[in-house]
Amino acid sequence: MKIEILGTGCAKCKKTKEIVEQAVAELGVDAEVVKVEDINAAMDYGVMITPAVVIDGDVKIAGKVPSLDKVKEWIAK
Amino acid sequence: MAEDIKMAKTAKCACEAAFVGLYACSGGSNVGQMANRIAVELTKQGKGSMMCTVGIGGNVPGIMKSTEGTDEIIAIDGCPLICARRTLELAGFTVNKHIVLTELGMQKNKELDLEGSEIKEMMTKVESAFDI
Repeated sequence: MKIEILGTGCAKCKKTKEIVEQAVAELGVDAEVVKVEDINAAMDYGVMITPAVVIDGDVKIAGKVPSLDKVKEWIAK
Repeated sequence: MAEDIKMAKTAKCACEAAFVGLYACSGGSNVGQMANRIAVELTKQGKGSMMCTVGIGGNVPGIMKSTEGTDEIIAIDGCPLICARRTLELAGFTVNKHIVLTELGMQKNKELDLEGSEIKEMMTKVESAFDI
């Protein structure tokens, strides 16, 4: 599983990354978490506001910090 | 394993002030093209960010999620067909401000080229009428 955190390195982006990494750790899944700061890469997904979370190419959220439970739900699916 | 990829830092971040999404109809008429241009100009002025209205109609995931992440939605339509507003509302979004250029005195026709003076005039009207 590949989880991309799209963002510029701001506070919300960092928080999002922390939550995703916590969810991965708690679920014990084998996932690659990648932080992507390139706006063009974000726009390739249609994402125009960050932070955003993309799991295996599927945009899950944009412009908001997700809850831990929500991230776990996405990963478990 | 976490990995950082550091490249250009130009993304519009939600950490900044309220995120205003600008959705123009960008239709095939002078008023549609003016709606597009006004969204461009407002974006350049930092009064919002032009978004992809057609992506709402196409239910494109990244654009839908980005729209869910906005704090305010402004629909900019050229004419009373209000395609941008209808598109947003059909998708379940609430339009906070709605601009219709024909209501500001612009006459609709099939011309697609805009004059600089027309753009300036309509920008002044939009900024005045909508306190943008």
